[in-house]
Amino acid sequence: MPTRPADNVINSSPPVVALAGWVLPGLGYWLIGQRGRALACGLTILIVFLGGILIAGVRVVQAPDMTGPGNTFQRVLQRPWFIGQVLTGPMGITAAMISDKLAASPTYRDIETKARLAEIGTLYTAVAGMLNLLTIIDASHRAGRVR
Amino acid sequence: MRILALLILAYTPFLYPLPIWDYWPWLLIPLTAGVAIVYKSVKCQSMRQVPREALVIFVWILVGMAAAAGALAGVVRFVVER
Repeated sequence: MPTRPADNVINSSPPVVALAGWVLPGLGYWLIGQRGRALACGLTILIVFLGGILIAGVRVVQAPDMTGPGNTFQRVLQRPWFIGQVLTGPMGITAAMISDKLAASPTYRDIETKARLAEIGTLYTAVAGMLNLLTIIDASHRAGRVR
Repeated sequence: MRILALLILAYTPFLYPLPIWDYWPWLLIPLTAGVAIVYKSVKCQSMRQVPREALVIFVWILVGMAAAAGALAGVVRFVVER
């Protein structure tokens, strides 16, 4: 016998649902009891993000250099794609940290994809983040209706 | 050919880029599938509708991309290069 969506609700506070969706793609839907939607969105976003890193290498996720010249806005705009990439949550931040470590390593610092594959990898990772933003907004909106 | 074989042998996933330089247009397909699945999962009221709706929008995105590519190729060939 199928359970009603309301039986599966763990937490329906929109800010909590939004934060959970950022921490792990699809977790926001899971908290409001929409398990199928959570798995479909979460796994797809995860696969698209990891696909981008597989295509172009982890160095494709690069955080802006916040110690560089100019104000914060100008520094962020040096690598605008990171705004999309960071929307995948800790996964994007971890990838950026690994990328920074590799950039500082004498063995791996020269391994950086250029041209088309770098563009495609950047596109995949940033689109994954923007799709996650879409699910965060939708899950928190649905959470407001569950209440 | 030998260089390509050496590159494939030295390949480490997630660190080096995937050795698919000649096949990059095909990478549009998985991205389109991902966008179609997430967009329709958000949009549809019931998850039962998602596979069919996602397939329809997946095909439409590919048709649109192919049409845009054809139109741009036409502009380059008949306007820019003339």
